[in-house]
Amino acid sequence: MAELSTSAPSVTAILASAEACERVSALPGACPVSPVEVAIVGDASITALRQAVERIDPDALVSDVSDGWVLHTLDGPGARDAFARLSELELPFSGFVQGAVARIRVRVLVQGDRVDMLVPSMLAAHLLERIQDECRELLT
Amino acid sequence: MTQGSLRFEGREVPIHDGDTVASALFRTGVRTFSRSLKSHRRRGLYCGTGECPNCTVTVDGVPGVRSCVTPAGGGMRVERGRGWPSAEHDLLHVTDLMHPLMPVGFYMKTFVRPRFAWPVAERVIRRHTGSGPLPRRREPARTTSRHLHVDTIVIGAGTSGLSAALETVRAGERVLLCDAFGVGSQVPRPRRDAIGALEAEARKEPGIEILEGYAALGVYEGPTVALASQDELVQVHPSRIVVATGAAETHEAFPGNDLPGVWLGRAASRMASAHGVPPGSRVVFVASTGEGLEHLLALVAAGTNVTAAVVPSAFVDRVPPAVEAIADGELVSAHGRGRVRSVVVRERGLERRLRCDALVLSTGLSPRDELARMAPDEPVEVVGDAAGDGDTPRVTGGHLCLCEDVTVHDAEQAWAEGFRSAEILKRYTTATMGPCRGAMCGRALTAFAAARSDEGDRAAVARTTARPPVRPATLETLAASVHEMIEKRTSLHETHLAAGAALGWSGGWKRPFSYGDAAEEYAAVRERAGLMDVGTLAKILIAGRDASALVDQVFPGRVADLPAGRTRYVLALDEAGYVADDGVLCAFEDGSYLLTSTSGGAERMDARLREWRHRLGLHVHLLDRTSELGAILVAGPRARDVLEPLSDDPIDAAALSHATHADVTVAGVPCTAIRTGFVGELGFELHHPRSRGPELWSALQSAGEAFAIRPFGLDALEILRLEKGHLYVGQDTLPDDTPAKLGLDRLVDMGKEWFVGKAALERLAAMPLGRRLTPLTFAGGPPDTDGLRGMPVMAGGDVVGRVTSAATSPALGRAIGLAWIRTHGGELPTDLRVGEATATIAETPFYDPDGERLHG
Repeated sequence: MAELSTSAPSVTAILASAEACERVSALPGACPVSPVEVAIVGDASITALRQAVERIDPDALVSDVSDGWVLHTLDGPGARDAFARLSELELPFSGFVQGAVARIRVRVLVQGDRVDMLVPSMLAAHLLERIQDECRELLT
Repeated sequence: MTQGSLRFEGREVPIHDGDTVASALFRTGVRTFSRSLKSHRRRGLYCGTGECPNCTVTVDGVPGVRSCVTPAGGGMRVERGRGWPSAEHDLLHVTDLMHPLMPVGFYMKTFVRPRFAWPVAERVIRRHTGSGPLPRRREPARTTSRHLHVDTIVIGAGTSGLSAALETVRAGERVLLCDAFGVGSQVPRPRRDAIGALEAEARKEPGIEILEGYAALGVYEGPTVALASQDELVQVHPSRIVVATGAAETHEAFPGNDLPGVWLGRAASRMASAHGVPPGSRVVFVASTGEGLEHLLALVAAGTNVTAAVVPSAFVDRVPPAVEAIADGELVSAHGRGRVRSVVVRERGLERRLRCDALVLSTGLSPRDELARMAPDEPVEVVGDAAGDGDTPRVTGGHLCLCEDVTVHDAEQAWAEGFRSAEILKRYTTATMGPCRGAMCGRALTAFAAARSDEGDRAAVARTTARPPVRPATLETLAASVHEMIEKRTSLHETHLAAGAALGWSGGWKRPFSYGDAAEEYAAVRERAGLMDVGTLAKILIAGRDASALVDQVFPGRVADLPAGRTRYVLALDEAGYVADDGVLCAFEDGSYLLTSTSGGAERMDARLREWRHRLGLHVHLLDRTSELGAILVAGPRARDVLEPLSDDPIDAAALSHATHADVTVAGVPCTAIRTGFVGELGFELHHPRSRGPELWSALQSAGEAFAIRPFGLDALEILRLEKGHLYVGQDTLPDDTPAKLGLDRLVDMGKEWFVGKAALERLAAMPLGRRLTPLTFAGGPPDTDGLRGMPVMAGGDVVGRVTSAATSPALGRAIGLAWIRTHGGELPTDLRVGEATATIAETPFYDPDGERLHG
């Protein structure tokens, strides 16, 4: 079984050179979306991030984009099974993957039995409905 | 007892208890059920189990319905699809006489030269072949799609399928049991009784979900099994697949095998026992298996006059005394014009002709194992008859493949041409590629190849590749998931619902079309103030040191000189110079830009910008803020009065004039306020953090109460923007519209060194326009101007264009619209009509042509 919860995360978008992006990719909650774009999920200080990135790439863009994202979390021993019903993405034991979940593009952070799905706010209701439909008997 | 009647080609056909469409028709004397695909040969009832194509008819306008497995219903309208003038008297049967002139693949060889011949021939061939005309007028079906996750799927709910399902569920797994028809419906009649208990048990079991009328189309990687019913596509994701699809009766190929009156055992015994109609008045039976013998006994028990039975000597003792048993005889051929009149049987080396009007064959099984064969790497098990080796049919002549009208002679010709294996014979002759998907003829084709190839040539005799769909499905069902909409919502979704808004689809979003009274919403904007949720607009931040270079090269207008704080309306062209999108570009102090463009087009615009960033090698950051930013438009002559008490920032005409923007705080919410004019009034677009949307909306509504502010939807917007002559890219444009065709030349600066589409526009400048988007006013049209949209524009009896948008303008007191109209020698035609209305070419804006209200 898995528990489904929804929250409004803090998300910082970093658009910078590959070198600068690589520097922040190892931070907790980092989603390396592309070589030149990283999203940091969690309460990282945006000022500290900006300083760290701009030291390497003065032309970087560091922006608080929290309002653009919603986090749907599946947590518990059934979380991976539930996720498999929504997506063909292969989940690592821990780390970041992105791709189609319920036919929309989602950023996924995994840590053991916890699967965090970062979805654009405008599509959050769609994904929530699909999770509830597809995984009904797996949710507590 | 009769249960109403169905209507068959103009006459009433009574329906008895338990009738299928086929049994009801057969009882009233119908013997020809269809005409064959190419040669228009008569075809009668044959397999009786929904496999072969012979009994397909058109039911209530839907062609290709297998009448033998379709329950008859009162009031059904049944017709035979093919045949001219009718299926009964079909003059196109002449094609059968021309068969020698039309060998396999003749259309590929015959109409190659001259080149104009093929399009002509194709039209003729198309008209005279196929399963009958497609339904002309039919409500679009609402097919849906869903996913199902189970431990095990059992395909086929016959004896083996039910047993497998029960066994699996007892092991603690969740089981999905599906059948193309109904539970137990395809079990041969003599064995029906045994299945009752199994069925009752399975239906009681909560761990078994049963789907009847769901045909498994294919097994795919994953594994995934696609099931199709009439109105639903189900994608099943099991861990294990059990194929229990049983077997069809062997289709033997001998001269005369497709004559009406030739039956397979299951069809004949079902017709006699279940429906009480004997398959003929003098029946010859050929049985070589135990099941065949059971069908023979069932026929006799039902009172059918079976005159002779060709059986193995071991069965002779069990043949009823009234039937002449021909031990170890061999069926040679069937004869008759239009139906069977006699058969020739070889008995101890001597041929004998037997008079009869029906020939029933039950000579073995052809396992339906395609689902198992198409997915060798998936966890598939085959049980029951589907797992059997099957019997090899005799192939001596006649029709090899009933669906595609391929004769043994055709196959022999193809063999002589060098197509020497079952697989390439299939591809060349199209045998096994018809609606039965090889269930009837697949083994006959392999047997044909085996008889002619060298021993040990395994490639020649290998079974042909099994591919989905293994049963017919409509394109409507297959496309079901395409209709599945992904719903985007703004942060004000609940607010709109609470306000009683009628929401509808627009560019992938659910948006309010009206809050109950679009006319009043319109009036509020024109006279006082209105409020609209425009959070659906695409919003893309363009930043980085080359941002200005990118916008200058992607957009055709002069934008590099856009000062910070100003906004400009821009077009986006593709490389062919065609208008792909439009938007508003806002320049900021730090050298970045915010681009707002068509709702629903964010991904496209983002991709366009990314592509050009890459191709031009520019250092630009692109951040799609569509989801992150909400936007509310406050518009109307009192819009500023609504905002002023909510903000300490200056928003007067000097601080925030038309086509400028500024960062302001409204009701405590940080906003980028953009002065826009899409509706033609003083307007402020307040872009704000999405999460603050509801509080901003509610503050604006409260502040606007003094001016009777109203929220307005897309219906009011349609009139407001049309009065200003503004177009929607996509609705008012065609894919090959250039700025000139839309009258938007002013948005292109040909003096710029380079922009996307410039070279194409230079070339096109030398060519005549061809068509122009033209504002029209209408007189004498329908009261509901919605009806004008999409109507052809006529001039002197010729269609010269099409209306793209129309609305009744309260400001002008008449219907107005936009239409594309063809030009001749650069001139637009005159004396235009649209339906009943006369149309006059007008100038835009229709409303406030000097833009005084806009600048207010």
